[in-house]
Amino acid sequence: MILVIDALNKHKFPKLLDEMFLLRGRVFGGRLGWDVSVDKGRERDHFDDLDPAYVIGLDDEGHVVSCVRALQTTGPHMLSDVFSEILDGEPPIRSATIWESTRFCVDTKRLGRGKGPNSLSYATCELMLGSLEYAQQSGITDIITVIDPVMDRVLKRSDNAPYDYVGKVADMGKVPALAALLDCTDERMDRIRAHGGIEGEVFISDEQALALPAIAARTKPKSDLEKYCEEQISAATTKQEKLAALRLKEVLEDKIRSRMDQRA
Amino acid sequence: MDNLPSIFGQHDLFDLEDLPEASDDFSRFLFNVRDRFGVDDIAYAGMNPVNGSIFGHVTYNDDWKAHYASQGYHKIDPTLHKARRSIAPVDWARLDRDSNFLMVFDDARDFGIRDQGLTIPVRGPYGDVGGLSVTSSLSQKEWNKLKGEVLVGLQSVAVHVHDMVIRSDNLSNLLRTPTLSHRELEALQWTSAGKSQQDIADILSISNRTVEVHLRSARHKLYALTTAQAVGRAISMGLIYPG
Repeated sequence: MILVIDALNKHKFPKLLDEMFLLRGRVFGGRLGWDVSVDKGRERDHFDDLDPAYVIGLDDEGHVVSCVRALQTTGPHMLSDVFSEILDGEPPIRSATIWESTRFCVDTKRLGRGKGPNSLSYATCELMLGSLEYAQQSGITDIITVIDPVMDRVLKRSDNAPYDYVGKVADMGKVPALAALLDCTDERMDRIRAHGGIEGEVFISDEQALALPAIAARTKPKSDLEKYCEEQISAATTKQEKLAALRLKEVLEDKIRSRMDQRA
Repeated sequence: MDNLPSIFGQHDLFDLEDLPEASDDFSRFLFNVRDRFGVDDIAYAGMNPVNGSIFGHVTYNDDWKAHYASQGYHKIDPTLHKARRSIAPVDWARLDRDSNFLMVFDDARDFGIRDQGLTIPVRGPYGDVGGLSVTSSLSQKEWNKLKGEVLVGLQSVAVHVHDMVIRSDNLSNLLRTPTLSHRELEALQWTSAGKSQQDIADILSISNRTVEVHLRSARHKLYALTTAQAVGRAISMGLIYPG
């Protein structure tokens, strides 16, 4: 299952994002040994402060098993900044219909071998598919992705080989990195689906995600305060009444939202 | 900016039609886009990151424009302020029906404007942000179908309008000189020599699609809608030689 979290819905999933940063810490700071900064186990950089979109793979319980980050190439992004060495002094690609994808990773601990829905292979394909579909539905035609040679092999093995590369392979700390191009076409997505054995819709809605056991378990039930606010909103009959009721709930938002963060 | 009255302060709204230069082009362009994509109305709003002023240009009727500005809705409009924090187009169905949404759209209905639409957020390299919104009164089913058909085109339009507006601002003018990569220049140079995309792919030993990627990037950097326009601009700027 794939959930997209961005600046508009991230307040609903604080613990899920935390799990994602922990996963990135384990993968990029630990297993892959990238030159990234890890704080209390969480890997973050300043692109995470620019309201990127995260495409996140969840298991049936509602735990993060994979994630990738997307940014527009028209604004600040990694290739225009920290990965500029890959481009060998060349200015970065800038296009309304190309997104940059970075920090692709899967949780090898939570996932097993083989081909089933809880396997590494399935989760990898599902995340590739999810990120391509999300881009395609947004009017994006191509993705430029910053990866290491290991990920490059994973892409090729998953019948999702890049159609080209931009710039050169550059040394980024301990590991080389390169920029690859992927088209967001039905043909590519069909190949990934066939390879991963993925059928049907991969995305889940915010509501479906909130109902998953691990996520529901740490969200406290609605407080009396929240219920009261919602009753006031639905009982309003005039525009003025409705405005007043909506504003009351917005003023109390901090108190209402804190229920999402109550339990770890 | 120099020509604007100094009473405009933080978060004030500029109707680009009042701007002395290039205003006709913006207006004509947006009306053309509206007709071509089959939507009811199109609105662009951009924010200058340095002084926080908001620039707007819309196809809405004058009554709604006047009401919107007089109520100061540009300060609270969630289709501007919330949607721009996404990287993907935001269907307004995704926005909370909060007090700001109700304020704006309850009034909008009185002016014949529906709350069915979407906003394409744009981010520029200097921290400049903007959004292109379209509205539609089609049935929900038809609207979803239309979205699928026009989004790629609207993405390009959104960035194009944004870049034009930001470029027309003197401040960012100073910051802007196009930086084209060698591949982008090569692709433009061969295009100006009359080569097709496939020819260029063969010459440069890269895929056809990569040539397209470089040409598209070059078009954006040169604020051109077509490759021919980009070639013309690159020649006039001395970036490539006439073919």
